[in-house]
Amino acid sequence: MPPRLLLRLHRIGLIAMSYFGIFYVLVNSAAFPLIAGKTRASQEAFGHSITVLGATFSWLLPTPVRPDTSAGYLQWRGYGFFAILFAAWGLFSACGAVRRDEDRGLVESWLSSGISRLRLLITRSLFFAVLSAEIVTLTGAAGWLGCLIAGTPLDVAGLVGESAALWALTIASFGLGLLVSQLVSDFRTAASAGSALLVLMFLLDSIGRSSVHRAPFTDLSVFFLFNQSNAVAPGGTFAALATIVLVVVGAAAFVMASLGFVRRDIGNGLIRTRPGRMAEVHDASANPLLRLPIVRGLWIRRLGSLSWTAGMAVTAVSVVLLVNITATFFASTPTLSPYLRGLPGDVHTVLLALIWLSFAQALVAIFAITCVSRWSADDSSGVLEMQLAEPLPRWGVLTERAVELTVTVTLMSFVAMAVILALAPAEGISVDVGRMLSSTALLVPFALTFAAVGALLAGWRPRVAVVTLSTIAVISYLVFELGPLFKWPVWADNLSVFQLYGTPLITPVFVGGLVAMLAIVVVGFGSAGVVLARRDVAA
Amino acid sequence: MTSAIVMHGLTKDYGSGHGLFDLDLEVAEGEVFGFLGPNGAGKTTTIRLLMGVIHASAGAAAVFGLDCDRESVAVKREVGYLPGELPQFGGMRGSEVVSYLGGMRGGIDRSRVKELSERLELDLGRRFREYSRGNKQKLGLVLAFMHSPRLLILDEPTSGLDPLNQQTFQRLVGEATAAGGTVFLSSHVLSEVEETCSRVGIIREGRLVSDMTMDKVHELRFHEVVIEFGGDVPDAAVRRAAGVADVSVEGSRLTCTVHDGFDGLLSAISGSRVVDMVSREPSLESIFLSYYRT
Repeated sequence: MPPRLLLRLHRIGLIAMSYFGIFYVLVNSAAFPLIAGKTRASQEAFGHSITVLGATFSWLLPTPVRPDTSAGYLQWRGYGFFAILFAAWGLFSACGAVRRDEDRGLVESWLSSGISRLRLLITRSLFFAVLSAEIVTLTGAAGWLGCLIAGTPLDVAGLVGESAALWALTIASFGLGLLVSQLVSDFRTAASAGSALLVLMFLLDSIGRSSVHRAPFTDLSVFFLFNQSNAVAPGGTFAALATIVLVVVGAAAFVMASLGFVRRDIGNGLIRTRPGRMAEVHDASANPLLRLPIVRGLWIRRLGSLSWTAGMAVTAVSVVLLVNITATFFASTPTLSPYLRGLPGDVHTVLLALIWLSFAQALVAIFAITCVSRWSADDSSGVLEMQLAEPLPRWGVLTERAVELTVTVTLMSFVAMAVILALAPAEGISVDVGRMLSSTALLVPFALTFAAVGALLAGWRPRVAVVTLSTIAVISYLVFELGPLFKWPVWADNLSVFQLYGTPLITPVFVGGLVAMLAIVVVGFGSAGVVLARRDVAA
Repeated sequence: MTSAIVMHGLTKDYGSGHGLFDLDLEVAEGEVFGFLGPNGAGKTTTIRLLMGVIHASAGAAAVFGLDCDRESVAVKREVGYLPGELPQFGGMRGSEVVSYLGGMRGGIDRSRVKELSERLELDLGRRFREYSRGNKQKLGLVLAFMHSPRLLILDEPTSGLDPLNQQTFQRLVGEATAAGGTVFLSSHVLSEVEETCSRVGIIREGRLVSDMTMDKVHELRFHEVVIEFGGDVPDAAVRRAAGVADVSVEGSRLTCTVHDGFDGLLSAISGSRVVDMVSREPSLESIFLSYYRT
């Protein structure tokens, strides 16, 4: 199997993990002196606050070790969080490699070319092992660079050890994903079952960490094994045995998955449900929703849209519950408390605004990118050609896409808003309903801005649309995050779409930003219409 | 008779000699036109130009007088289309795919869908990903025929169909033309063209090398004759005989092709002792390959 094809199959994960891992680690480590202060006293005070905060979040992240140093902070904030992220990546990559590629007929095609099942699985697994090793290494290198920028170089041996542990966790999760995917017959079930397994393992580790009673079977959790290492933090340790056990878990899961793959039928799982005898259908679906413009797309993608909406709602709940903890943390941290004094309005309201809007912006931007990814895939898979075989103008397809995205983002945003408005009073947070409404409504042009740029890219060069749009989004986010820290000029800040959105929960709507976003939407979709009309489809 | 399809100098140049070049072709209303050629000859490119999915480098194509590029939406109102390969509709059921794409057209004749799916023995209750290749092709045929279009544009329509369903397809084409419809189908299987088409065009390396009625194709028919002689082989007389070509001799066996009747051959071998004589009518496939070689 050519590496280029394998790279293409893993491109979404590769792009997302590279961008996220590298930039997240770089920003958090490099910005340490800015948030913790440059004096030893301020860093110790910051470390104390993080220790208190860490105790509150012990159900989520391991207890921080020396958070008064950039290395300790990176260990807690970076590698602690990466356990969840990289494990999920490994799992979903494996489910995709088995079930998605089987649905597409790729597995059958490869097998018919003479490659054995075992060799196919080995090739896919080895490729992922190499790919994940590269990304983990790049992430570690970004952390090393960030700490160097912060003026406190990392211990390289510790960084290598922690990277090894993270890589082992990733491939263990990949192995588990391979195994689960042999049992069931479709991607959705495999991903759900695999996620349930990972959540169970996470909870085992979490309960063992945050309660006095150690949960049974905790040692079996891949997260427990990973969290035995905290080698980046000063004085931390690299648990070689736990890391080896993680690799063994991955290898054992791979062996079992191989046995299952060799035994089962392609297109089916080892667990086969006997379908009920059903009468044949010789009629078009009577569902009227499938025939209505825009509604049809919403109906077909209803599960995805509802999942995104649920995700936004859960995030909103988490943010509301986080506000008081964060306010206490800020107030008790000398380097951060001045920020509270400088904020316009009630502290809790301001923190809710800052935390919620950053999450909401990130989520709707990612949602817009996933939509653009689908638009590009529709072109290469022939779906667009089938749509255009009906008497539907190309601009009509584009309009449907834009309106469908608008409706879904509106649903996601307003459900989340309703959750915040319902929960905030109970947490003692006052929310201006009018501002909440306007900030929620503004998420729609914000998402459409990314979608418009994406539509133009998908219409012009569908194959590179997702990569390019992701790059634009990441740069935009970095400008937004780093601009204020490094005191960049206003015009540079305003290059970020995130900046154009403003902070409408605590400040008046940034009219200039709104106008700029709307202009990008009009020009972007208009140009996309022209480009799509002139271009050969699926060529 | 008015034209259903007109192509003038239609060109799609992909570079390096690939594409379609200077295609001039007319298909009359009510005709069943077979577009023949090997893989990569330009059949699908022609079809996608007709459907307005890709744009011509030069020339123009029109369907019922409507420009395929500028008025492609109006063109598609008149057309039922079967692509060379259906896209993946994943977990959608066949009935949902029909409803979804039919909805884009503005309405569905459910009785027609019922009739078509029953005749093609296609269970629309199953999910697309569970369909075999043949069932996917049947679904494509339902989608193309379900609104009884004036023009059917079908890219390799019998690909993946079993012989029984191929016959059903041929009957569907016959019914469509009986109702005044026109069919433009591409194929590299001559037997299906032989069964369904009234005219064929042969395309080779992006250029139309022949456009003829099936009657003309049948006129091109010849017989392959193998004669086993008991004595001397009268090859010189056979070579001189009218209507005889491709003469070859191997021992006492003579092989030749005979066009326009056997009189010449029979005169040439009269007086010779014939032990065995076999005459085979070649398939359209052979005619096609013979045509290609020239």
